[in-house]
Amino acid sequence: MTQPPAPRTPPPSPPLWRQAFDAAERAVAPRAEDLVRSEYFSLATALLRRAQTVAGSSVQGVSARAWHLLNLPAGSDISRLRAQIGSLDREVRRLTIQLEQERRRGSTSRPHSSRPTTATTTEDSDADGAQPPDGARSRPARRRAQRPSGS
Amino acid sequence: MLDRVRRDVERNALRARNGIKLVAGVDRPGVGQTPKDVVWQRGRTQLWHYRNDPDTYGGVRYGPPLLIVFSMVSRSYILDLTPGNSFVEQLLNAGFDVYMLDWGEPDERDAGNGLEDYVDDYIPAGIDRVLELSGADEVNLFGYCFGGDLALLYAAHHPDAPLRSLTVLATPVDFRHMGPLADIFAVGGMDVGSVLDADGNVPPSVVVQGFRALTPTAEVTRYVTLWERLWNDDYVASYQAMTGWSDDHVPFPGAAARETAEMLVRNNGMVDDRLTVGGDRVHLSDIQVPFLTVRANRDHIVPPDATAPLIDLVGSPDKHELCLDAGHMGLVVGRTAAKTTVPTIIDFVRRRSDPLDADDTREEA
Repeated sequence: MTQPPAPRTPPPSPPLWRQAFDAAERAVAPRAEDLVRSEYFSLATALLRRAQTVAGSSVQGVSARAWHLLNLPAGSDISRLRAQIGSLDREVRRLTIQLEQERRRGSTSRPHSSRPTTATTTEDSDADGAQPPDGARSRPARRRAQRPSGS
Repeated sequence: MLDRVRRDVERNALRARNGIKLVAGVDRPGVGQTPKDVVWQRGRTQLWHYRNDPDTYGGVRYGPPLLIVFSMVSRSYILDLTPGNSFVEQLLNAGFDVYMLDWGEPDERDAGNGLEDYVDDYIPAGIDRVLELSGADEVNLFGYCFGGDLALLYAAHHPDAPLRSLTVLATPVDFRHMGPLADIFAVGGMDVGSVLDADGNVPPSVVVQGFRALTPTAEVTRYVTLWERLWNDDYVASYQAMTGWSDDHVPFPGAAARETAEMLVRNNGMVDDRLTVGGDRVHLSDIQVPFLTVRANRDHIVPPDATAPLIDLVGSPDKHELCLDAGHMGLVVGRTAAKTTVPTIIDFVRRRSDPLDADDTREEA
């Protein structure tokens, strides 16, 4: 004979302080959400940010002039240099990737990327421990996709 | 009455202990622990291959492999949060060969990266490497959050892409509904240049503040709930892992941010069919591969209205939508993910995959 299932005890109600908080949160949250989604909030945030940027760039301009008087580079010069190095790094990276793709395409004759290749020089790949130094070698296909793409 | 007093005393003792642990930052749960290898790297971008160990996960039993394209503003360990609560782990258990394209932490060298760099260079290069390593001719592509947008742009810009299927999770397309973060650019007319850091990227703090502004009182509620449940070790472990992730963003490359603000936010390019990648016009309707979009109706990071139009924009004849009663993180971690999201995704992909024979499985392992 099976025992009837024991009646389920309802979960304990949250403490009073929590109930009070939840009630307050329910009252405040929709208003706060309406406020941050209003046009005025967006405009005010944008204006504030613009003011901060103008103030920041003015201070930066003054301090840069001071450093330049002493014939020393300012922070803005370093930022410009970093941006130039970054741009160069990006170019090399893109060329390396396109070169890799060309190499793979040559070894597998699988058309993939529709981008035109601009790389005409060979670049050493930068620090890829997982890849053989003489370029990626393809392994023979063990299984084929049975469905053409787009089906 | 005595029991209640005793319980409160015990709980306060546990609160004190867990509070000290939280403040000291000790005993943090290990995240992203599924064994993996870096199989390709360029710049800060890495391609990870998760080991599908036959003894642990049963080995690779389905092909083609899965490639996950992660978001550009957050850390990818959310998909491999903790052992037993990992999206990646479930995919491995289901017999898939799983790869992840992780963008790393952009710095000044990435400030000039536009969407084109990711869509036309990194994703194709990552896919080529996956095909090369696996010997397959196609991949099942996954995109998470903004990674879903990159995957959509890739699939649309490369109609000849070797894709078996495309699945996107919590992927916004109607950026008018992305809340205050989008409004300040679209309505307020703010220039992206005014939020860039010295390294030329959008700092993580701006992204975090933008997401927090979506639910202004959530931050207070979070701490109140933490205080209430601070005695519970499981809750504290989960809190550390989840909030650790939601506060832990990465810089957004400046050039990509400018393009996003102009093309996706101001022009609402995905919905209004005004997309350009690398100078080419791109149409989501050109995506013809089997397609699944998974979205959450309680998502406070990517609101449901932002994800809803996607299913109608994609041209695939075989397209499906799964809308779950979950939040943004709940799509990939926690009970809803384990019981509904991941099994549905696995079912969708498995139906469009091929079982591998035992020889292949052994060789793969």
